[in-house]
Amino acid sequence: MIYFIIRRLILTVFLLLLVSAITFAIFFLVPRLAGQTAYQLAAQYVGRNPTPDAIRAVEIKLGLNDPLYLQYGRFIKGIIFGVHYNNGPDVSYCPFPCFGYSFRNQEPVWPQLISDAPVTLSLAIGASVLWLIGGVSIGVLSALRRGSFFDRLSMGIALAGVSLPVFFTGLMALELFSYKWSLFPNVHYVGITSNPVQWARNLVLPWVTLAFLYAALYARLTRAGMLETMGEDYIRTARAKGLPERVVIVKHGLRAALTPIVTIFGLDLGLLLGGAILTESTFSFPGLGQFTILAIQNQDLPEIMGVVMIAAFFIVVANMIVDILYAVVDPRVRF
Amino acid sequence: MKRRKIFAVTAVGAAAALMISACSSSSGSSSTGGTNNTTTGTVAFNAGITGVVNASSHKGGTLIYDDSSTPDSFDPGNTYYAWVLNFDRLFVMPLYTFKSCPGTCGEQLVPDLATDMGTVSSDGLTWTFHIQSGIKYEDGTVVTAKDVKYGIERTYDRSVAANGPTYYQALLTDPKYPGPYKDKSPTGLTAIDTPNATTLVMHLQAPFPDLPDVLAFPSSAPVPQAKDTGSNYQLHPVSTGPYMFKSYTLNKQLTLVPNPNWSAATDPNAKQLASQIIVNLNVNQADIDNRLLHGDIQVDAAGTGLAAAARAQVLANPTDKANSDNPVNGFARFIYINTKVAPLNNIHCREAIEYAANKVTMQTAWGGPIAGGQIGSTVMPPNIMGYKSFDYYNALSQPNGDMTNAKQQLQACGQPNGFSTSLAYRSDRPTEVAAVTALQASLQTAGIKVTLKGFPSGSYYTDFAGAPAYVHSHDLGLAAGGWGADWPDGFGFLDSLVAGNTIVATGNTNIAEENNPVVNNLFTQSSKVTGAARTAIWSQIDEQVMKDAVILPMVYQKVLLFRPTNLTNVYVQAYYGMYNYAVMGVSS
Amino acid sequence: MAVPIDVATGPGGPEPDAPLSIPGKAIEGRSLGQIAWLRLRRDKVAMGGGVVVLLLILTAIIGPHLVQNPNVFNSNLIDPTFLRPKGAFGGISLAHPLGVEPETGRDLLARIVVGAQYSLLIAFLATCLAVIIGTFFGVVAGYFGGWIDSLIARAMDVFLAFPLLVFALALAGVIPNSAFGLSGNSLRIAVLIFVIGFFNWPYMGRIIRGQTLSLREREFVDAARSLGARAPYILFRELLPNLVAPILVYATLLIPTNILFEAALDYLGVGLYVPTPSWGQMLASAVQNQFYSIDPEFMIIPGVTIFITVLAFNLFGDGLRDALDPKTR
Repeated sequence: MIYFIIRRLILTVFLLLLVSAITFAIFFLVPRLAGQTAYQLAAQYVGRNPTPDAIRAVEIKLGLNDPLYLQYGRFIKGIIFGVHYNNGPDVSYCPFPCFGYSFRNQEPVWPQLISDAPVTLSLAIGASVLWLIGGVSIGVLSALRRGSFFDRLSMGIALAGVSLPVFFTGLMALELFSYKWSLFPNVHYVGITSNPVQWARNLVLPWVTLAFLYAALYARLTRAGMLETMGEDYIRTARAKGLPERVVIVKHGLRAALTPIVTIFGLDLGLLLGGAILTESTFSFPGLGQFTILAIQNQDLPEIMGVVMIAAFFIVVANMIVDILYAVVDPRVRF
Repeated sequence: MKRRKIFAVTAVGAAAALMISACSSSSGSSSTGGTNNTTTGTVAFNAGITGVVNASSHKGGTLIYDDSSTPDSFDPGNTYYAWVLNFDRLFVMPLYTFKSCPGTCGEQLVPDLATDMGTVSSDGLTWTFHIQSGIKYEDGTVVTAKDVKYGIERTYDRSVAANGPTYYQALLTDPKYPGPYKDKSPTGLTAIDTPNATTLVMHLQAPFPDLPDVLAFPSSAPVPQAKDTGSNYQLHPVSTGPYMFKSYTLNKQLTLVPNPNWSAATDPNAKQLASQIIVNLNVNQADIDNRLLHGDIQVDAAGTGLAAAARAQVLANPTDKANSDNPVNGFARFIYINTKVAPLNNIHCREAIEYAANKVTMQTAWGGPIAGGQIGSTVMPPNIMGYKSFDYYNALSQPNGDMTNAKQQLQACGQPNGFSTSLAYRSDRPTEVAAVTALQASLQTAGIKVTLKGFPSGSYYTDFAGAPAYVHSHDLGLAAGGWGADWPDGFGFLDSLVAGNTIVATGNTNIAEENNPVVNNLFTQSSKVTGAARTAIWSQIDEQVMKDAVILPMVYQKVLLFRPTNLTNVYVQAYYGMYNYAVMGVSS
Repeated sequence: MAVPIDVATGPGGPEPDAPLSIPGKAIEGRSLGQIAWLRLRRDKVAMGGGVVVLLLILTAIIGPHLVQNPNVFNSNLIDPTFLRPKGAFGGISLAHPLGVEPETGRDLLARIVVGAQYSLLIAFLATCLAVIIGTFFGVVAGYFGGWIDSLIARAMDVFLAFPLLVFALALAGVIPNSAFGLSGNSLRIAVLIFVIGFFNWPYMGRIIRGQTLSLREREFVDAARSLGARAPYILFRELLPNLVAPILVYATLLIPTNILFEAALDYLGVGLYVPTPSWGQMLASAVQNQFYSIDPEFMIIPGVTIFITVLAFNLFGDGLRDALDPKTR
């Protein structure tokens, strides 16, 4: 097991390097192939009516006319060894990990990411806890009460959740619970350290919005999985052995049904940033999702690289954990 | 309906999950905020355009602004956004500013840090300015003429400050000055002399009567060299205005507090009322509108007005409508008709488009007469000095399009069954998308087939519509555009749009590539005369340009602004087309 | 309004088919396909879903020829101050059975029908792409194990490590107006299909790999191997038939996901070019321009359309799965 973890960690580093190279290629190379010159790229970071000298100065400052492999090398070197940046009267230095300086506002990217990360983490962790617990328990209960009113009702709602876009659900939630009925007036992000109660209160709507979609999926999957395993022979054996029903359900039934759940959870972590992008923009939460949209809109390459690398890092680590859980949950799977 | 039931069920589920945080609503706010402290000015629709609403000298309270994106920079030397130019006067004093009063009074340029309108030599090449003595920064040090010169010098290094206007390089001598970070000599920019602590002498390459207008940009505000942190200056500019920076988290929030070293007597165009000003950045527009209508915030910083839902709500409710204004904001929306892309190089084909376009559907797409604007027939909008109304293509008399004349012009240009061309537009601007779609549909009825091509607005001017090579090779005969003047006279509006010498290879704003010697001559003449003679030239240029049919005006933009009842001293400042941010306060 | 899903698995489901005894005819065995079809036919809800799916496909194919032009502006039907359609319920009338769009006055029914074409086309083709790539790599990885599995699993990790929406956004935004011989809308559609399908293949791949891993240890695979069967035979004759069920189920789950994904891309501004109608674009426009409060029908109608489509696919997929599940024979 330890050997497995070490092997995966080494692979993770290579994986992140690969991700960074592909990201770099997509954001830097493809526009070049489409005909965009360094001059044109630099022209996006000047104001109205710029002079050619201004554009050229920006081009040189940002190193845009260097060959791509040089820019990429510089970027990787910058992450590890830090970057010295000429801000005018003197030179500032940003230490490891340094994703460079934003093209748009010329401030270091990493501190901006750090200040945005807690928002997205609050959103993601809260929502995933909600949807795991909610989805799985509703799925189990529905499976056990197959055909009852509860079963049909919850599966109906689950279908609704899966069929609606998250930006739509979020907007409806805002409209009803915040604007119309003022249960949550003036939803805006409050840090957990400044006021934990307000933090939780303002996050309820985004949590429910994000979780609603995924919980539905998990409820359906758990239900299907439970129905399958509860019909297996070993369940009958366990019951015949005289084990209490609760033990039968959880220890024997649920455990086997969890395999696809665990798989999908790992996959969903990858989709979480996407969901965060839409949720954050609906509720105006200043997190990594919003940061990403702005970075892409501004074609602000250091910011884009920074946020993609962070997201990739979390996804890869999470997938590794999921793979380990996979082995724990399903004893038939061997490495 | 099916949908409502699901949501009702969802509501039950969500409510159950909320038992944890089920406290009663905190602010208990209902629609329009606290008590009405009106002392002067009736509260009525559009009252803020002609008079001051809710005039008050009440001090204290927190004034909150929300912005749907971020400023390009809060460094006064590195910004070009209209609302930031307006807002900067809260923490800097430029040499000149627009008078703080409602109506046409607000179009006047008046001295701010300067003492008078400056004196110019007889050949027009040397200007002398004097600044007030004894003005202090937030830390108590005194402002000198050298600081004003330094503030201008630091905008020359484009690798540090790339966003601001480029007029200094174009107008002053010594255009190749590399900026104070690269040029460490004590003289610095030779175009400006500072013979003493309160005098500046500026040398121009050619006469330019509008120089004080250029100095109304906040880049003429003084910057102490010792405190200049280059690209980090935006995090805390040293204040000479009524407020100073307390804290600024990039992309999130700015907090301003009163500057103890500011004196109201030296700065009559600004006021120090609220005890704290907060600006929240990157807030969703729907959120901004809701918070505004509930009184949770006081100002929508961008000044682009309410969006569709809030507009409908406000216009339908008489109380809310009385708390709103519908000014012309100085922006004109139009379509460039390129003179080099066939078959539009033939003037009759261009005229066909002018006649055939349905101005009403375009106006509706922009938001109708209230939120879109007035249908236009000239290049300059009505709030520019020198505006004259004329209508060569029956835009006002036949706003749904004049098909008869259109067909005639098509015959005249040899395309009786119409022709095809492409139209460039910015795909991330929904109203622009709707407007060009409307245009496409109306031109279709005349047989003119338009293919729409969308581009991201960030690179629209640099890579696509503003790059003549791209325009020619991709058959972009039409391009959507908009323009707001840098200062409210014809030069500020027309020069970059239609002067022959402003066509450039990238970042081009003379997208129609209009290069008519008649127009170019008129521009040259305008630098040689002043006063009424100069003002008359602008409408002549406008008329010639419209005769050349290189611009299809769509609307003179209007916005619907809402003023919560606890906002004091509210009025529209003509040049900015939004509320005057330098003088507002908050009651209760 | 909960829609019942009559899952026919486990004890208590419908009776297994009793052999028909027609006098004079011998009892015949049935193939897997025939059994599945009979069971499916009996599941009313799934058949309902299937009928709706068929209707939608039919609408997408012939509908656009039957409705009016979806791009004609009818500004006379719009109230210029509020920009909402004159008349109740979003301007419903005989000429416009579903009303008109706010601000532009375009016929909503026409836009829904033509939109069906684009939305379904993109979702279907993207799903096919994802299924083909994902199944291939998933089965190969799951069955062969060892370094092949490691390689493919790591490749899947790489793809899964990319924040999906970010890349879809970036790629769709960065592709120029004409490339590879296509231009304008056709290029956009191709890019969307590619981006949605290509970034989704690990989703299928991982699931299939997991299923293959579990199946590989089953008795029938051992039996086949001990009888001398080689890899291709086991892959195609033993494993794949058992994988058809999960493939079909997840494919039918994937189609609506892709419809929603395309809607999200429209919301973020990189979807189809104006004025092409697509359901996602209409919903996005209703949300972003806040038309929902002045003309709720404009949001409800595309929203309900998407909802019904997704629902139908899900119900049909569920029914398919139950009908094909070999364990409930």
